[in-house]
Amino acid sequence: MAGDAIVAEELTYWYGELVAVDHISFNVAEGEILGFLGPNGAGKTTTVKILTGLLRPKGGKATLLGMDVAKNVEKVQGEIGVCFEDANLYEQMSAIENLRLFARLFGIRSFDADALLRRVGLAGREKDRVEAYSKGMKQRLMVARSIVNRPRVLFLDEPTEGLDPASAESIRNIILEERERGATIFLTTHDMMEADRLSDRVVFINQGKIVALDTPHNLKQQYGKRALKAKVSTHSGELEDREIILDTPETANAIQELFAQERVVTIHSEEASLEDIFIRITGRGLVE
Amino acid sequence: MNLRIIGALISKDFSLFFRNRFFALMTVFALITYLTIYFVMPSSVDESLKIGLYAPVMPPVFEQLQEESLEIEVVESDEALREAVTEGQYVAGVALPADIMERFMLGQKPQITLYFASDTPEELKDAVVVLIRELAYLQTGQPLAIEMSEEILGPDMLGMQIPPRDRLRPLLVFFILIIETMGLATLIGEEVGRRTIQALLVTPMTVKDLFAAKGIMGISLAFGQAALFMAIVGGISGQPLVILAALLLGAVLVTGIGFLIGSVAKDMMSAMPWFLVALIPLLIPTVSVMFPGLITGWVKVIPSYYLVDTLHRAANFGAGWGDVWQSLLMLLGFNVVIVWIGITALRRKFR
Repeated sequence: MAGDAIVAEELTYWYGELVAVDHISFNVAEGEILGFLGPNGAGKTTTVKILTGLLRPKGGKATLLGMDVAKNVEKVQGEIGVCFEDANLYEQMSAIENLRLFARLFGIRSFDADALLRRVGLAGREKDRVEAYSKGMKQRLMVARSIVNRPRVLFLDEPTEGLDPASAESIRNIILEERERGATIFLTTHDMMEADRLSDRVVFINQGKIVALDTPHNLKQQYGKRALKAKVSTHSGELEDREIILDTPETANAIQELFAQERVVTIHSEEASLEDIFIRITGRGLVE
Repeated sequence: MNLRIIGALISKDFSLFFRNRFFALMTVFALITYLTIYFVMPSSVDESLKIGLYAPVMPPVFEQLQEESLEIEVVESDEALREAVTEGQYVAGVALPADIMERFMLGQKPQITLYFASDTPEELKDAVVVLIRELAYLQTGQPLAIEMSEEILGPDMLGMQIPPRDRLRPLLVFFILIIETMGLATLIGEEVGRRTIQALLVTPMTVKDLFAAKGIMGISLAFGQAALFMAIVGGISGQPLVILAALLLGAVLVTGIGFLIGSVAKDMMSAMPWFLVALIPLLIPTVSVMFPGLITGWVKVIPSYYLVDTLHRAANFGAGWGDVWQSLLMLLGFNVVIVWIGITALRRKFR
């Protein structure tokens, strides 16, 4: 059984009066993708900053790959990759120069920048200055930069935010490839479909506290409701919606009655989304 | 500190600096401009002394008033003489009264008026007074009463015996050094403003590596250009080690100021006003070298004074370690404080 790549124990951080992270604890197993979900200001970025050594926790302890982050910042940072939400590339340098710079910082002697750029779909534009890139290209380069050192733990902050579907899909594929390679991935996202699809487990964080932590499936089981959504045709020919909640003692009879008494035009099952569950738990949406 | 990382950062910063057309141009342009200014300025001091003479009646002995390096020009009126002295055509003017010969004959004392420009050195004033008294004595065999009148025309240039362009050297060197502050401050400001600093800080690079890289980059850019300038204009030949030490400390000073400006700037435009705020007071001591006596002792509270003072004394008068060590020590002290404040301000910004 794989050990834990990330262990957070009672992590706490505050800015003046504002408690940004309030005694949160969780662990991420090696090779796992953890979705870290919460609205703006919930404490996601502060948590990532603590885990990546950018901030020293004011309480609790963060351990990465068995090392206390606060005490082994340099060693920890040699093993991680971070992709920030906002593009922070050297725009007057080319993609290849950006990657080579970071390869040098990580002390990688034989680095094949071209291969990495091909992998993220930037072959052919590798010598152009980054300032000439589209947002999607910059984001792909950001992801490429974060995996220059083949990190054992990869932090991705909204990696597909605002991207076209093709760019977003290519980044999701890279995330899955990295997991295949054995990397542990800490994924911060607002995209519930993405979190649902990619994450082994998800954490809901709200006002600095963890309010739920489980697999998407279990959260849906625990907090969501499955339902049948049907459209029926009335006598006057109009379409009306019908909903039957599944997994209740009355479900079977309700379905029987629907088909016996009404003219069903379409019918499909529907699961609760992570967004629905987050709202149910916290009373607020993920995107505000 | 990790030399590999520092090397990578320096290489990156130099690359970004010279890709910024403004800074690349400014660096080359400034060097060429200041060298041009230096070489078009007079390379020697004009030591001939022009004296104006108004004499309605010329006493015979005054016709002998031609000595080596003493050039006498006769003007037509007292008014014209005053005007010429005021405009700086003559370092002194001698106005003889119309009745000078009658008074000599009668054994009376004629009133001779002397006019001096404000920048006429005291020793020259004394020399002219003595000369007139000698001439009068030769003419009459008795001392004369002389009335002296002075016009204040501008700054006192007392003791300006070195060529103007050499006197200008510390000012030009200071400009070359300080201009690099802008480049460094902009690079740092943009590193923070564009958040590339965050990307760097999650690598094995430490904040110490970052400061070392920025410091080396700023110092080498400023020092390299200033030393090149001084070498071309012959400022290093006399006291090379003293001059290079002063330039190195000057480069550290402007790097510290670059750190400070970088901590408040986001880009070149926001760095510009701060640059001017720093430039103006730092420029004042260079004026005191250009125009001795214009600025008094308070200028010593400005760190750049110790840089330009050392450069001036070492390059123009051959001052050695024994003469300038106190200035260099003061400059070092200012550097420690300014660099420390700059690093502290930047550390807060990096968080």
